[in-house]
Amino acid sequence: MAETHDVLVIGAGCAGMRAAIEAFDKGANVGVVSKLHPTRSHSGAAEGGINAALGNTAEDSPETHAFDTVKGSDYLGDQDAIEIFTREAPGDIYQLEHWGAVFTRNEDGRLAQRPFGAAGSPRTVFAADITGHVLIHVLYEQLMKRVAQDASRMTVYEEYFAWRLVIEDGRCHGVISWDLLHGGLKFVGGGATILATGGAGRIYRTTTNAYACTGDGMAMALYAGLPLKDMEFMQFHPTTMYPTGILLTEGCRGEGAYLINKDGERFMARYAPNALELASRDVVSRSEQTEIDEGRGVNGSVFLDMRHLGAEKILDRLPGSRELSMVYAGIDPIYAPVPVRPGAHYHMGGVETDEWGRTELEGLYAAGENACVSVHGANRLGGNSLMETITFGRRSGQHAAEWALSQAAGADAAESHLADADRDLKTLLGRTNGERPWQIRDALGATMFENFGVFRREQQMLAAIDDVDALRERYASVIVDDKGDVFNNDLTQAIELGNAIDLAAAMLTAGVARKESRGAHSRPHDFPARDDENFMKHSIVRWQDGAPDLSYKEVRKTKWEPMERTY
Amino acid sequence: MKVGLKIWRYDSKSGDKALREYEMDAPEEATLLDCLDIVKDRQDGTLAYRKSCRMMICGSCGMRMDGGAVLACKTRMYDIAQAGHVPVISAMGNLPIVKDLVVDMDPFWAKIRAVDPYLKPGYDQAAERENVVSQKQMESIHKESLCIMCGCCVSECNSMESDPDFLGPAALAKGMRFVGDPRDGATVERLETYSEEHGLWDCTRCYFCQERCPKGVDPRDAIAKLGAEAMHNGIDRDMGAKHAKWFVTSAKTTGWLRETELVPKTQGVISSIKEMKFAMGLAVKGKVPPPFPPHVAADVHESRALFDLVKEQGRDGALGIVQGERALMHLAHDAGGTDGAYGKGGDYPVPYLPEIDKPEPKPEPKKESA
Repeated sequence: MAETHDVLVIGAGCAGMRAAIEAFDKGANVGVVSKLHPTRSHSGAAEGGINAALGNTAEDSPETHAFDTVKGSDYLGDQDAIEIFTREAPGDIYQLEHWGAVFTRNEDGRLAQRPFGAAGSPRTVFAADITGHVLIHVLYEQLMKRVAQDASRMTVYEEYFAWRLVIEDGRCHGVISWDLLHGGLKFVGGGATILATGGAGRIYRTTTNAYACTGDGMAMALYAGLPLKDMEFMQFHPTTMYPTGILLTEGCRGEGAYLINKDGERFMARYAPNALELASRDVVSRSEQTEIDEGRGVNGSVFLDMRHLGAEKILDRLPGSRELSMVYAGIDPIYAPVPVRPGAHYHMGGVETDEWGRTELEGLYAAGENACVSVHGANRLGGNSLMETITFGRRSGQHAAEWALSQAAGADAAESHLADADRDLKTLLGRTNGERPWQIRDALGATMFENFGVFRREQQMLAAIDDVDALRERYASVIVDDKGDVFNNDLTQAIELGNAIDLAAAMLTAGVARKESRGAHSRPHDFPARDDENFMKHSIVRWQDGAPDLSYKEVRKTKWEPMERTY
Repeated sequence: MKVGLKIWRYDSKSGDKALREYEMDAPEEATLLDCLDIVKDRQDGTLAYRKSCRMMICGSCGMRMDGGAVLACKTRMYDIAQAGHVPVISAMGNLPIVKDLVVDMDPFWAKIRAVDPYLKPGYDQAAERENVVSQKQMESIHKESLCIMCGCCVSECNSMESDPDFLGPAALAKGMRFVGDPRDGATVERLETYSEEHGLWDCTRCYFCQERCPKGVDPRDAIAKLGAEAMHNGIDRDMGAKHAKWFVTSAKTTGWLRETELVPKTQGVISSIKEMKFAMGLAVKGKVPPPFPPHVAADVHESRALFDLVKEQGRDGALGIVQGERALMHLAHDAGGTDGAYGKGGDYPVPYLPEIDKPEPKPEPKKESA
């Protein structure tokens, strides 16, 4: 007999766990399915901080936070959602603190706040440079607390790889998963289901994202006929280390680090004379890429220079970044600048939701990076994504619990779906003649990195679409080496690759069609300017007959008219 | 570069175990995890290991290299490969193996759950504002809050090897994270629980956990702090606590360890009488000094001064250690290079980056007013 819950959460990063906690507190029986143990989720790798207008370090207000976010989004964010987000953020931060989050403090014992890119006031709450780590552990602590309170209402299915949503009669009934530790397909049911599987950075060759960030939730929604929104907007973080792509936090620049080119020049003065290194991420990444393209980089990188901050500040505020530099670049930032370049970091796009996390399909929700509310629009501000996971994780958990508890249980619809999944799985495992996934994966990463990166050209995007189509054909005969049941992640990695190929197609389709430059989507060669008349609208991609289908949707405005965006 | 690995393969279903050797070409910046990926991609897709962040924060890839626990993603292979060494890779210790390098973490998490790993009293409503706590107070649990739950400490724990029920370094460090948190209201209750059998006094102080922790959590220090806090709160019924107390008294009063009195002070008089025969035997062979008159060391004032110093520093002395400590040591000893901080006993290969031209520093421009 399959396990069934009122609320099923898929993914256990910050958004998933926050949603699960809220649903439990609202009285629901909660199941959490995650392909990793919850604390292994990539939210834990977030470094710099989490934005809320507390005003602890300088004057601030939710209104200012909202304006900065709208401007940062290049006017593609939905302004009503952004206002809710910035208004509710401070309460969520106080709650995390009361749960035990080990945040860094000011002299007066209040939560410290550091400056971050494109923020009108220092509003980024932080825990040295391991903010995500602190949050993921405090949320897991709260999850364990609820298990201790009432284990019958909180079940965590660790190392269950969610594969397919079960949708019947216009409702989502749960998910079919592959049990990694023990093998076998398992159905886990939910009255309401919340997708919280995170980003898809692994579509790119150089990314800050974990191996686990393969866009599973977005792909499951896409295949279930749901719309993905603004998929062309992949954020490139300005400071990912050469050669590994591992992230050095924006907090480095928040604490005062410089970006220099090979001549030692602080080049941001030429691109963003006021904000300098603390311009928004899309602006800084483009500046870096221009320096590199014009021959003022070294090995395709510029340098992040922290030397002037001094040992004490680096050890106090940025110890994790120092350790990362030392282990992965062999450089101690106290004494030498670290080579950095833009790398794929965060997907602004995702499953389309409203401000309660609701998708088009009643009873199905999405929160966190795999969702697109949208608060980030065309470019996310540093520190806003952790906040989004908490605020919209909470909101979707609350709404899903209330909705599920008001509904009669759905029919047990899993049987035929399980049979289908089992058949497809056997086909995949039974194939012995074909190609192992890694070359396809590497080719996908390369074409996306080269053709759909910081700067985009029509010809390159079209070429990438052809590449992706060819890769899909190769993928049709992919083979899995491991035929066993126990910890068969050879199988799950092959499934992830299939998802990644189709998500790449969705991104490219939306990208080619957006004939303007906005936020992270930059086309300096043919459409260098923003075109509010034709493109101040969300792209919507659906999966139809094995190919992406594109349409558009209006941006919701409240009080901010689009203005020219300079920093 | 050419890299060789010997990997202990294990299949829990069939029970088959085999040491297999693999060779590969890897980029010079490759970590152990990168090399395992090359094996899995190109040579044998059935190789099982956990991975996710590849940046030392998710805690997935704990395993053993040449018999000691490491995070695969933190272990650079360059020096090892240059030396022509072919390390043996195996699953972590003290946990059941599921397949190859994957262990069953359930016993690990059960112990974490056993220390009530959440702030008490839990505040379940969003309060008006944050609690006001000084940064200095928060720093007292800074190291413990760095823990990524990778299990490397548990893998190496000697005490757990002989007593699988021992709470172990990870769970106890997690416990200290709450005992040291001024916002937690259950300090005494926690210390009582942690002081029970299989608790903090069962640590044998071998420091293997501290040596092998990839994040500088220093779990043995955390256990020491728990012990100190327990005594501070009058929780000293356990023999371990009594043993420690007598060590201090003995060192303060005589500058020596008075072994003949150690047993009755630790185990109690009745239990000591049972050991009488053994003690007499030791005395006959000259292994223990006669208890009377107490032998006082010539420079006993030094050990008394030390006692006073520690007492004066109180809890700040032990608690004031922060993560930067090792880094500061490195700073003092080796101001130019990048080797020192990782040179501890050769447990990490020296970080390496393919040669790049570093820019000459130029005077920094003044930041214009924003």
